[in-house]
Amino acid sequence: MPADGLVSQMRRGALEYCVMALIVKTPRYAYELIEALGKTGLLTTEGTLYPLLSRLRRDGLVKTDWRESTDGPPRRYYELTAEGRRALTAFKNEWTGFRGAVDKILQEGKTS
Amino acid sequence: MTAPHADQLIDGYLARIQAAAGDLPAGARNELLDDMRSHIAEARSREQEETDAMILNILDRLGEPAVVVTEARERLGILPSALYRPGLLEIAAVFLVVLIWPIGVVLLWISPAWNGRDKLIGSLAPLGGYIGLYAAAVVATHTRGCGQIIDQAGHVLRNTCTGASDVPGILSALLTIVIFGLPLFGMLYLAIRLPLSRQRQLAAA
Repeated sequence: MPADGLVSQMRRGALEYCVMALIVKTPRYAYELIEALGKTGLLTTEGTLYPLLSRLRRDGLVKTDWRESTDGPPRRYYELTAEGRRALTAFKNEWTGFRGAVDKILQEGKTS
Repeated sequence: MTAPHADQLIDGYLARIQAAAGDLPAGARNELLDDMRSHIAEARSREQEETDAMILNILDRLGEPAVVVTEARERLGILPSALYRPGLLEIAAVFLVVLIWPIGVVLLWISPAWNGRDKLIGSLAPLGGYIGLYAAAVVATHTRGCGQIIDQAGHVLRNTCTGASDVPGILSALLTIVIFGLPLFGMLYLAIRLPLSRQRQLAAA
């Protein structure tokens, strides 16, 4: 299917903003993110989330800290930085415009 | 506990990640391994009863090591060496690292064809040659230095001239090896590592 590559690239690109959106209110640890993303079908190979998180941290979009837990091993919590918030807001604006434009054309194609 | 092979399965998985991540910077590789370990520990802590099948499920969901490492490579912006074809840059680096060391070293570290360890060896070996050359010069000036012991009346009592022949044979042989051998070794090593690292990558892919 020719659209396969494009869709997987889009999913991959959008995934990092979905991760940022998941920690916009409260810091979370990776396993929580995997559970949240798993339900949406956005993340099929769980291990691939970790390189993404490393990248976000390297870019200064998230910061991390280890916390002890009472019901499991120590967990590394991911928290959005101010820069991360700015990046997320910029993406939201772009995304809304992009989605609207594509939807509009796809709809027109259907009705004409 | 009905997971007699839990440690074996997990160690095997981590070893495969480590092997696939051989060309990642050590920091990134260790971070990935730490993340995998934490993930597995977290997943295990959530299960009531531990079985081998449960461990296998955790590892399956984590994904094929090659897929995870490919993702890491892409997110880090690292070109897989398997796809990288050595060219003029590498040839220039191999020769210049001996002839004009500073330029050669810069080219060497720019090139993605070698890993960090290869680059370090390739940089230091020819440098050893330069240090050897310097040591030879120091030895030569010291041993060729002339002095005279003169008494109060101005008579020369004794000449303290020494010649290059006084340099012990072993020392000069050692210096020859250092001066010519180390740069040659560095050059050969880098040249040999070029095709080797490519094969290793292809085998891992």
